[in-house]
Amino acid sequence: MKKKRLIAIVSAAVLALAGCSSGDSGSGGSGGRQTLQFWFWGAPPDHQATMKKVLIEGFNQSQDKYTLTVTFNNAVDKNIQVALSANKGPDVVYGSGPAFSAAYAVQGKLADMTPYSEKYGWESRILDPMYKSGTVNGKLYSLPNSIEDIGVFYNKKVLDQLGVKVPTTFAELTAVMDKAAAAGLHPSVTGNQGWKPVNQNYISQFLTVDAGGKTVYDALQGKIPWTDPAIVKAVEESAKFYQAGYLGGKDYQTLNFDTSMQLLSKGKSPFFIGPSLAFQFASTYFNDKAGNVADLGYIPFPTINTSLPSPYYTLGTTASLSINAASKNKDGAAEVIDYMLSDSFAKEMNKDWPGYWAVPLKNFNLDPNDYTGLSKPFVASIKNTIKGVNDGHYGFFAGTFFPPATAAEFTNIDSVWLGRESAQDFLTKVNTTFQGELEKKLVPPLPEPSS
Amino acid sequence: MARRRELIGYGLIAPALILSIGIVVVPGIFTVVLSFTDWSGIGPSYNFIGLQNFRDILADNVFGTALLNNIKWVVLFLTVPAIIGLLTATLLLRRRKMRTFFQVIYLMPYVLAPVVNALVWQTIIYNPNGGIFGFFGLQPPTASVRTSLYGAAIVDMWHYFGFLTVVYLGAMRQTPMDQVEAAVVDGAGSWKVFRHVYLPSIRPTLLLMGVMTVIFSFLAFDYVYLLTQGGPARSSEVMGTYAYAFAFSSFEFGKAAAVGLIMSFFGLIASCVYTWLSRRDVTE
Repeated sequence: MKKKRLIAIVSAAVLALAGCSSGDSGSGGSGGRQTLQFWFWGAPPDHQATMKKVLIEGFNQSQDKYTLTVTFNNAVDKNIQVALSANKGPDVVYGSGPAFSAAYAVQGKLADMTPYSEKYGWESRILDPMYKSGTVNGKLYSLPNSIEDIGVFYNKKVLDQLGVKVPTTFAELTAVMDKAAAAGLHPSVTGNQGWKPVNQNYISQFLTVDAGGKTVYDALQGKIPWTDPAIVKAVEESAKFYQAGYLGGKDYQTLNFDTSMQLLSKGKSPFFIGPSLAFQFASTYFNDKAGNVADLGYIPFPTINTSLPSPYYTLGTTASLSINAASKNKDGAAEVIDYMLSDSFAKEMNKDWPGYWAVPLKNFNLDPNDYTGLSKPFVASIKNTIKGVNDGHYGFFAGTFFPPATAAEFTNIDSVWLGRESAQDFLTKVNTTFQGELEKKLVPPLPEPSS
Repeated sequence: MARRRELIGYGLIAPALILSIGIVVVPGIFTVVLSFTDWSGIGPSYNFIGLQNFRDILADNVFGTALLNNIKWVVLFLTVPAIIGLLTATLLLRRRKMRTFFQVIYLMPYVLAPVVNALVWQTIIYNPNGGIFGFFGLQPPTASVRTSLYGAAIVDMWHYFGFLTVVYLGAMRQTPMDQVEAAVVDGAGSWKVFRHVYLPSIRPTLLLMGVMTVIFSFLAFDYVYLLTQGGPARSSEVMGTYAYAFAFSSFEFGKAAAVGLIMSFFGLIASCVYTWLSRRDVTE
């Protein structure tokens, strides 16, 4: 009797262990298919449903060799870091951008995607600057799933109430914010509650619209130090902007993108300043059901430096896609990435999920008139951004293009904004950190802006 | 027979010993070694760089802020929750009815996940747009460089004092009743009974909790990270969040290990003090 019980316990343990290991990449799926793992951030339920329909079902029906499974988790960045370090993790690697993938590529954690690029023709399909940024020593290690800009969302109704037009210059923008503050509104809404790297958006924006993309490019190439007067001035301008209350007013530390969009929809402010990916948060509050889609508009952030062309874009990526060097199904992972970088995928995803799927195609062949809701202004804004990128009118988003420790230093820009550190001292520290990363070749190849 | 009993004894402690070696000693040794390297935490390559990580950390103003904040954290946690815990335990000691109910209520924040507690405070209390602070037109403490540390500490102390209440109450109930009754018969009031009977009786518990509080305070991370992420402007940075940023934002695991080592050093001092005090008690 005891022996039988022991056998039963051992069998149960073996079955349980087998169950635990079934999630490993490369294991056989149903019907002889191989399972492909893709870890993604914990998107809201509606967006997860879109992803299941368009990506998972779409990909699984498009071929009969692989079964794609997607795991949604808000701690995806950390989970992937730990898993890759241990030579584990998903087949398709979701990263924060080319700087992230460069750090992992030099350590041999990501697979060389150059042969797949040749097979699928990615180089001829993807925007040149975005393709180039994913290479390390001439080999391709990542591609962005989507590009983004940092701009200004506005509520047309609030602007009408204030009796002003949509601003086109920096002076007009601040004048409207002053008028809003005088009317008891927030000058703008945004904040970094729960995610301090939000600060990178705003310092990147000021580096772009004041110092200019070319100056930042030179700093990232090591041609000029980060303490260059043009960069110091841009940092000081960002501090003045913050101290004037133009960035979330007193509530910057206690607002996040979601609550900011909610306040914008309620008419508590004329503006939300933030990345174009915030269209996905806006869709919760500006939608057909609420009947207020037409109230929301989006413009690129106006330039401060008048010698820069206008409009001028702060180019970033929402995420990057790579192949795990430890994956047993690299061919399958490449097939998934190819599927996600297609015109048809972009068309389908943007119907229900505006903000996150501006696939960086040279020919972003989407017509805003084919879309409803917020997808319409989002597609229109991305078409403009892509035109700006093709014209070379852009600067760089720190979280995408700066090496990791340098980007982390820029996260602490609030020390300057809150007067605890001078711009010069802050940038001296940035420069020291950056020089160390430049020596270690952690700066991703960058597209050179035209101005 | 004695040999057999000895072997059984070793066999019984072996699982705990192996576990301790596996999850404490080995990673501990790795941490010490890594603190002298420039390991990025990603691949196998690293270089030994001597004391460079420690030099960089000591030269960084933020380390000073983090260390000072940890010390403030220790002082706050050794006093505020300990006093409230003692007070509530004393009050519950006299209350026979509903005592268990109140213990469960006080302990509830302690058993909830920190992320839940932090969200409750962030959305219901500290929220300037719809929360209690907003209702009174106040800026939440987490939004200011002067008060951000205290804003996070309040939530952590709120979650912690219930645990101390239960522990202190358990210890006070072990006090021999004849001592309490003798003191009452001799005319001692509530304060004197507490001061001269209960307090000496629970001294070992107070001491142990004090040492554990010091150790926990130097490991503080979750509530600071969830409520302020060390900000604004790094004003609420503690060594835990300082190390975390090195490890997961900058890919500087060597520096993170060095900070971890310094954190452990303070915990070690607290443990030594506790051992010394315990031995002194035994000899006395």
